Amino acid sequence: MLWRAPLLIWQILFFVVPLFFLVYLSFWVVKNYRMTPALDPVNWIKMLSRDYFWSAYGLTLTMATVAALLVSLLAFPAAYTLAFKVSARVRQLAVFVLIIPFFTSYLVRIYAWQTLLAENGVINAFFSLLNLGPFTMLNTPIGTMVGYIALTLPLVVILQTISLANIDRSLVEAAHNLGCGKLRTILTVIIPLAKNGIIIGMVFCFILSFGDFVSPYYLGGSKPPTLSILIIDTTKAGQQWPKAAVVAITMIVTLFIVAIAAVAAAYKRPGTR
Amino acid sequence: MPETQVEFENVSRHFGDFVAVDNIDFAIDRGEFIALMGPSGCGKTTTLRMLAGLDKPTSGIIRLSGTVMNDLGPQQRDTPMVWQSLALFPFLDVLGNVEFGLKMRGVAADERKKRALEWIERLGLGEFVKRQVTQLSGGQRQRVALARALVTEPEILLLDEPLSALDAHLVVRMQGELKRLQAELGITFFYVTHSQSEAFAMADRVIIMNEGRIAQIGAPREIYRTPANRFIAQFVGRNNIINGTVSSIAGNMATFTTPIGNFEAACPSVQPAERSEASFVVSGDLMKISKMRPDTKNQVECTLISEEFVGSFVTLFLESADATEFKVEVQQRELEQLELTPGGTFWLSWESGHAYVLPENA
Repeated sequence: MLWRAPLLIWQILFFVVPLFFLVYLSFWVVKNYRMTPALDPVNWIKMLSRDYFWSAYGLTLTMATVAALLVSLLAFPAAYTLAFKVSARVRQLAVFVLIIPFFTSYLVRIYAWQTLLAENGVINAFFSLLNLGPFTMLNTPIGTMVGYIALTLPLVVILQTISLANIDRSLVEAAHNLGCGKLRTILTVIIPLAKNGIIIGMVFCFILSFGDFVSPYYLGGSKPPTLSILIIDTTKAGQQWPKAAVVAITMIVTLFIVAIAAVAAAYKRPGTR
Repeated sequence: MPETQVEFENVSRHFGDFVAVDNIDFAIDRGEFIALMGPSGCGKTTTLRMLAGLDKPTSGIIRLSGTVMNDLGPQQRDTPMVWQSLALFPFLDVLGNVEFGLKMRGVAADERKKRALEWIERLGLGEFVKRQVTQLSGGQRQRVALARALVTEPEILLLDEPLSALDAHLVVRMQGELKRLQAELGITFFYVTHSQSEAFAMADRVIIMNEGRIAQIGAPREIYRTPANRFIAQFVGRNNIINGTVSSIAGNMATFTTPIGNFEAACPSVQPAERSEASFVVSGDLMKISKMRPDTKNQVECTLISEEFVGSFVTLFLESADATEFKVEVQQRELEQLELTPGGTFWLSWESGHAYVLPENA
């Protein structure tokens, strides 16, 4: 039992304690740009009654949901190919290649996207050859979304590939044997069998996008602000750490609910409908 | 006149350099129970998969009811299969699994539910309609797999070692049920197995494969009593193979000279040449064993090496002076008079008509 202690101590020290402190902090008050410990619900009341909070919340929720759906859709054909159409060797190599983006700093990759997405960037240069554009992509929600996709796509492809590759091939053949066409087999047999992996991939994409501030900041131009941008703005504006704590806690609670709902959906025992 | 249903014409299947199926040729009549048997890696499953369209032959022609099937995908064939793993859909309940094939054929919801329920009922699964397949026992899952394959009322059912995951007592019961089901439906069963007891218990005809080729096709009794070659003789039953030189032939009876004595063996189909090297087989259950030297023609003195008990049968392993191995099957109760001691000497004997010259060396 003792060997588990270090992890437990670590978790308590650096997760549970800070979390309680964060909750406590959200009840402090700021007077004359100075934080004072208190138990005042004023930050919660003020923050949750502001329209800009709810529009940021709605935007972040929408962006993260769209990212989760879009990335899962984009990832599926690649994962399907890697799981069913190539040899195990190629699959292993591909999974390794998909990990490589994580070797470089996310920030560096986002800067690279700036040069691609800018008004006079690489993509618009290509469009100008076709006498199209220029399109404004940088400093719009499109830019943010591109960042989310760049951040999460490789991970989601890996997760989907692993769960698809684990499917018992005889089930796919059984479907064909019973007259199920190729496309229909994907929808009626393969996707239900890979459900867990697909849902876990969506959850990861949602969580990473929901809390990310790099993409909305450097590619989305902070306008309109997501919750992560709201936290930055709030802390910058006159020591408003307690209000930022309110935003942070609502984010944690949201992610918690989403994660629990998704895991419940993924591991729901069939037949208990 | 029975009608030919399945035809394999010089069919081969290569996987790279590996020849899984090597130029096989056979035909199955409508309504036959065929067992395709052989050791693992003999190409039996590949043969079955080619019939289902899950594998494509490298060369040769496969016909089903007269139609060339080579270029038809599995979806275009009416060749439902029961998998070794059963391959039931874990995300569907019993009804969902059974009606899957009908759904894919576009049968209306009411109609397919009715037909699926009929089969579920027929296979004694009535109380499990809404049960998840993961919550069923091995035998019940087996029945779901059968119902799922038979619900579309096919003319042939393919089975790939479907009983190999079941307990021994269930295997025997399912064998009986499969045989009865096949007789009732009157459709062809094409049954792949590595188990001789399954094949011989159920099949009208058995196809035995070895290293991608067909070693023998015939009724179980025919294969058992008149093996076509050394492989069959060793693979099937408890056969004793004795090698020697043919010294003379009189009618259908060949006389052999061997280091352990002179023997007679029947050669009803193919006659070996005189002075040629040949072999004959005697089934272990047709050999007699005694303490005293018997007063018959074919006899050999052996030393007891070991014994193996299976139920009321005992297989004795013996060795002659030149180290030829003999296997004898005797009833448990016969043994009691023999006073078996390892290393003890006994006499083996058999009737000339029970020895059979292997045609391959003839």
